[in-house]
Amino acid sequence: MGYALIISEVRRGVFEERNLDAIGIANLAGKDAYLLIPEGNYNINGNMVDKIIKVKTEESMFLNPLIITGLITKIMDSSASPEMVIFTHSSSGIEMASYLAGKMGLPIITDISGYEKNGDIFFKSYYSDKVFGQFKKTKESPLILTVRSGSFKDFATDKGKQAEETTVEGLSGIEERSFIEYVEEEKTGVDITKAEFLLSLGRGVGNKDEIPKFEELAQLLKATISGSRPVVDKQWLPKERQVGTSGKTVKPKVYLAMGISGAFQHIAGMKDSECIIAVNKDPEAPIFQYAHYGIVGDANKIRDKLKDIIQGG
Amino acid sequence: MPWYCTACNACTIRCPRDVKPSEMIIEIRSSLVENGDIPLAIQKALENTFVQKNPWGKPRSKRGEWVEKLDFKVPHISETKHKRLLFLCCVHAYDPRCMIIPVNVAQLLNKAGYEFGILGEEECCCGNEIRRIGELGLFEELMEENKANFKEYGVEEIIALSPHCMNTLKNEYGDMGIKVMHYTEVLSNLIKEGLLKPEKTFEKELIYHDPCFLGKQNKIFEQPREILNNINNVKLKEFSRSREISLCCEGGGGRMFFEVEAQYKRNSETRVEEAQEKGAEVITTACPFCVMTLEEKAVEKGLAVKELSEILMEVI
Amino acid sequence: MDILVFVKRVAATQEEELRIIDDGKNIDLSKIPFKMNDWDNYAVEEAVKIVEDKGGSVTAISIGSGESDEVLRRAIAMGSKDGILIESNETIHDPALRALAIYNFIKKENMQFDAIFTGVQSEDDQFAATGGFLAGKMGLSYASMVIGIDAIENGYFVLRRELEGGLQERIKIKTPCVLSIQSGINEPRYVSIMGIRKASKVERKIMKFNDYAGSGDAVIDLIRWSYPEKKGGATMLTGEVDAQCKELLEILKNKGVY
Repeated sequence: MGYALIISEVRRGVFEERNLDAIGIANLAGKDAYLLIPEGNYNINGNMVDKIIKVKTEESMFLNPLIITGLITKIMDSSASPEMVIFTHSSSGIEMASYLAGKMGLPIITDISGYEKNGDIFFKSYYSDKVFGQFKKTKESPLILTVRSGSFKDFATDKGKQAEETTVEGLSGIEERSFIEYVEEEKTGVDITKAEFLLSLGRGVGNKDEIPKFEELAQLLKATISGSRPVVDKQWLPKERQVGTSGKTVKPKVYLAMGISGAFQHIAGMKDSECIIAVNKDPEAPIFQYAHYGIVGDANKIRDKLKDIIQGG
Repeated sequence: MPWYCTACNACTIRCPRDVKPSEMIIEIRSSLVENGDIPLAIQKALENTFVQKNPWGKPRSKRGEWVEKLDFKVPHISETKHKRLLFLCCVHAYDPRCMIIPVNVAQLLNKAGYEFGILGEEECCCGNEIRRIGELGLFEELMEENKANFKEYGVEEIIALSPHCMNTLKNEYGDMGIKVMHYTEVLSNLIKEGLLKPEKTFEKELIYHDPCFLGKQNKIFEQPREILNNINNVKLKEFSRSREISLCCEGGGGRMFFEVEAQYKRNSETRVEEAQEKGAEVITTACPFCVMTLEEKAVEKGLAVKELSEILMEVI
Repeated sequence: MDILVFVKRVAATQEEELRIIDDGKNIDLSKIPFKMNDWDNYAVEEAVKIVEDKGGSVTAISIGSGESDEVLRRAIAMGSKDGILIESNETIHDPALRALAIYNFIKKENMQFDAIFTGVQSEDDQFAATGGFLAGKMGLSYASMVIGIDAIENGYFVLRRELEGGLQERIKIKTPCVLSIQSGINEPRYVSIMGIRKASKVERKIMKFNDYAGSGDAVIDLIRWSYPEKKGGATMLTGEVDAQCKELLEILKNKGVY
């Protein structure tokens, strides 16, 4: 049994949960999991992997594909080369994985969300998940993967023993590409296009007096408020909150639409959201055609109940 | 500011010097389009029309899906005897609210035994709005594609469901040797000939709104009124501004794809308020854009908006 | 600054239901219109903006069938100086194969450049790997998910990469380099049909993919297609309001937003 080298993702002191998906697929493919991580005080369950390789370096080096590739190349050229190198399918993951593949001339499959052990087949999304391509490597060589967050974390299990730990020498910066700083995206007022979770309100909420109660709910849920055109026209919400062709196009992780029936001008502005949840009195409301989840019911009643549940613990 | 224009044409009709301000607005918009200096929503509508042949970017392959709501088969134009084409319009093909209009009209024509066919997914946007947005190159492409289809299938007559399509097909496609009509013209004839009989009574107070592209721009005032007045119990109410001076609903000239920023009282609201004052319970009209713009305000005030074919379906 | 931008013609499938045919071997794209890959549109715009500001030229290059000429015309209408089509009538699924052909093309044709731009990914295969593979192969510096170019100084870009959750990193990267451009970095200009017609008058070179394919072997193989597990419209949450709300909160938790 060979091993899989997992390049962990750490951000400002946090070991990201999506690393579990990388560990999970290593398990699923029957490989030992070797975790490469910068030295530091990260909270990791050491029982989930077989080996932890700590690198004497700072976190930002793990954001640099040129540097990481240098390090991985060294490991791969040594006698015990991994059979897989696994990254998360994230901004840095795809950057490092593809660069490494090019540098070493190795096969790469990205955004893996399924695996079939029989035949060693990897499923990758095409056309925004409309279909999946099933891939195999055609030559005997290490394989580079990036894995989709949430796909394999259930397979990252406790192995019942603490991982062996080693430390390797640090990395030094290079001139070709250097880290300057982390930047938080500037916020000028509210930018609903940047929100991960929108609580969007439509005419179905009834009247302006209901809005503050939704704002309370939004605060409890840590959601950002947006709305449809009628709500903005009536000045229940400011223009900058408007979703739709005459407002903003949004693609949040979750779009919770309450009291929005779903005029096509509105749908055009939110249909690409990752998950759409609609609450509407009318079971025939067009928004249900676009939603992933739906509740037929009064937006205000659902709102009050949600608040009760959250506040009740 | 040029994007505020709804292409209602009132300025051109009224102009005492025959300046045609609406054509000048198209020219101004056209130069803005060539410079890429256009509102984002308009840009999206144009790009969608370029790729999918409709401003909403809906799949072209689904343009014919509305026929699934019918219990009889609508033939492709090539399979018809009389080569009468029902020209659908993008709004009717894709908008869930308006899809009922072609379904109704198809049923009415079928009932009257009036043969017609469709182009299905071969039909592309007529370009009426695209021309008014000022994208003249794209308008030409759409026109050429539609004309090529008309020619290939030997179309002799076009029944346009939307006054906007009718307008451009009739007045801007050049001489195709094809008779272009709005569906209300056809239905009013069929009623006169006794092939369609509104038998039931319509109980609610009804007011008719003249669509700009049907009324003031193409002088079709009587046929919709004749159809409605033929219905038992109907005494059609009239707006103070009707026919040539009808107040635009603000759905034309690309405004369906682009909402102006300014907060002002929309014409649709003025319209709905007057309907209410006149004691109407239902506003009826014969244009999908008017239906959508008026309905939004009407619903708030407890009025209904029904497209003319919806009224007819209730009484036939 | 001379910039090579790679652009791809992709099927506009956003609103389509795709059908798998030929026993899982193919997808039926016969009725689907094509367009320029969205990310590439941003990449062209960014390159053109840089050149408008700093001088130099943009060359648009596309690998694909003869019909890919339409995305080259579009790139030229946006402000590229010229376009090159590397013609291949087969769909290339392996990003390694694609990147190696580009590598061979650049070497063989002695293409001069200060930077190579690609989109982060293409809408069809979503591999997000061609730019990185190419940079690794060429030994050039690389950055992906580029969401802002803050400064161009002699021999360097200072730019921002999008990480996640509103976090970015600012980096300094040496030219020549490969940058994969993220959507949203700019607002791509509208090109009118008249503009595209004018662009048609600029000559586009046509090369043969096979001349650059090298050994030509893909190192991964797409063996068949499959559908995702069916969702089938909205899943309705039913039962009492209390149960509905609890289920809703559970969904929010699973999506990681609450």
